[in-house]
Amino acid sequence: MKGIQEQMRARARELLAQGAVQMVIGWEKGTFWYLSPPAFVTDPEDCDRLVWDEFCTNNLAKYLLDYKHTGDRIALFVKGCDARGIVRLLQDNQIDREKVYLIGIKCPGVKDGRQAAALGEARRGEVPLAEKCRYCTHPEPVLYDELLAGDAAAREAAPGEGRFAEVAKVEAMSPDERYAFWTAAYDRCLRCYACRNVCPACNCRECIFDRSQSGWCGKQMQRSENMFFAITRAMHVAGRCIECGECERVCPEGIPIMALNKKIIKDLNELFGEYEAGVDLEKMPPLGQYKLDDPEEFH
Amino acid sequence: MLKIIRDKLPELLTAWARGARVLVPRERGGTRVFLPWEGEGELALGQGNTLEPPKDLFFPRTETMYRYQVQGKDASLAEEPAADARQVLVGVRSCDAKSLAIMDDAFLTKGYVDEFYRQRRENTRVIALACTEASPTCFCTAFGIDPGRAEGVDVQMWPVEGGYLLEAVTEAGQELLRQAGDLLAEEGDAQPPAAAVPPLQVDVSGVTEKLQRMFEHPYWTAVSRKCLGCGACTYLCPTCYCFDIQGENQGDSGYKFRCWDSCMFSEYTRMAGGHNPRPSKKERLRNRFLHKLQYFPERYGKFACVGCGRCLDRCPVNVDITRVIREVKEVTL
Repeated sequence: MKGIQEQMRARARELLAQGAVQMVIGWEKGTFWYLSPPAFVTDPEDCDRLVWDEFCTNNLAKYLLDYKHTGDRIALFVKGCDARGIVRLLQDNQIDREKVYLIGIKCPGVKDGRQAAALGEARRGEVPLAEKCRYCTHPEPVLYDELLAGDAAAREAAPGEGRFAEVAKVEAMSPDERYAFWTAAYDRCLRCYACRNVCPACNCRECIFDRSQSGWCGKQMQRSENMFFAITRAMHVAGRCIECGECERVCPEGIPIMALNKKIIKDLNELFGEYEAGVDLEKMPPLGQYKLDDPEEFH
Repeated sequence: MLKIIRDKLPELLTAWARGARVLVPRERGGTRVFLPWEGEGELALGQGNTLEPPKDLFFPRTETMYRYQVQGKDASLAEEPAADARQVLVGVRSCDAKSLAIMDDAFLTKGYVDEFYRQRRENTRVIALACTEASPTCFCTAFGIDPGRAEGVDVQMWPVEGGYLLEAVTEAGQELLRQAGDLLAEEGDAQPPAAAVPPLQVDVSGVTEKLQRMFEHPYWTAVSRKCLGCGACTYLCPTCYCFDIQGENQGDSGYKFRCWDSCMFSEYTRMAGGHNPRPSKKERLRNRFLHKLQYFPERYGKFACVGCGRCLDRCPVNVDITRVIREVKEVTL
């Protein structure tokens, strides 16, 4: 993937040197070989920090919210899921398209950093695809200003089957089993809000979970409050989840958050017709539009 | 030195569980955490740290402080029952053992004793397990911690071929080993195995003094850019002890509770009038590092980090405290 990395650095350098953008957001090497965390470059001389490898996992779209009140124009490298995150933010009028310059990368799928750590660098070639990439339907960016020519072709979109496999497992449970499954998962929840903070569909200026005095949800880390958080978060991203899987990846407790998100996606598909969030700027989310022939009666 | 064969360890835990709650690393949802031992099941002592530190056992995520009831113009308070159940904590690594000494400073010294913490702390015996293999994220030795022998514990254990060596460190530890009866055998000439050598090294000398002059440094803007502002680092940290106190009111009655809080959250410093002296993640992330590396050393003479590596291991964006220490030492003022 060297070719892409060199193009990344060259384009970042050009854009910064020309003053076309004030910042480039990409990835750089982290503490270990299996970590390539987000990088923020403002100096054209500093662009050799940027890397492109199989651990460029983080979805970068959300960071644009940090700069929405600045005058800065920002260049961002986008994989399939990053680009869908951008579409999502644009549809919510969170960012100004003119202030963003998108450099697309055909994504071959990123690798699982945690399993990489367990396998060791000598077995780098055996590191499996990250869970979040296994059922990716759009490895190529759906929106970009330019596309880097890759020497590694993006993989074919993953086949549809399997995308809802975890949902099917939970659906097959009895109500009691399902209750036990979700309470066991969310009893572990630390309420660290990593899932919320990484999510490109979570863009409220102020989240109710940062307003514990409002009385909606207590700060107690206990089952009732944790479940309220879980359900509220899931319902709030309903129809807007782009399936980037970042919430589940960043959860320190390994809560199967995507099973919840995908259940809602599956239900929405069945109720309102197939819809994939963040793919088409013009196609509004099913719960974000009004239709006279809405299948749900509305009086 | 005494030895127990591996297969007998559950029996020992069961012996200790008579009259105490025994907590030991076990598997839960694909991770390892300290869970009660109830006489059967698998142990997960393994190598390296549990996902969560044992701080929850002394300073629970959420605990009720008192309850109240209002009747007309009268109000009554009801104290919570004392947390006086005995606990035996087995398999604590040297870093986590050290974290208890740090928590003790915060909760028990400088003129105020936190009774909730004190009760649990005094009723808990700690049995350490030496590390013979370090995780890539370990750097306890940077803080003078010996992964092969923990400080402030009652019993020290070492993993050896086929089992564990045990040595009582305190009176209470000797009592625990007496309870073991014939599960333990004397191994006169046995030597503890070599301690692990943490791969991540960082020199912390001078970092406090440097930070004292860096409050307004542009470094904090740069280092905080990637931070998501989540609380994973603080909640998994064995030495982060911040809490919030709130009430839950239901009609004429309710309760006051305290629960973990994180300086990474906006609500943490938001004042009643709405002003927030730490308005962005820059100020919050700076506070987290200053607390561990400057404020705590200034107040208690030790760093509030034990090099367990949990924050580094679980941070979604690889904010790395060892790198921050190195960079802080390198930046020009």
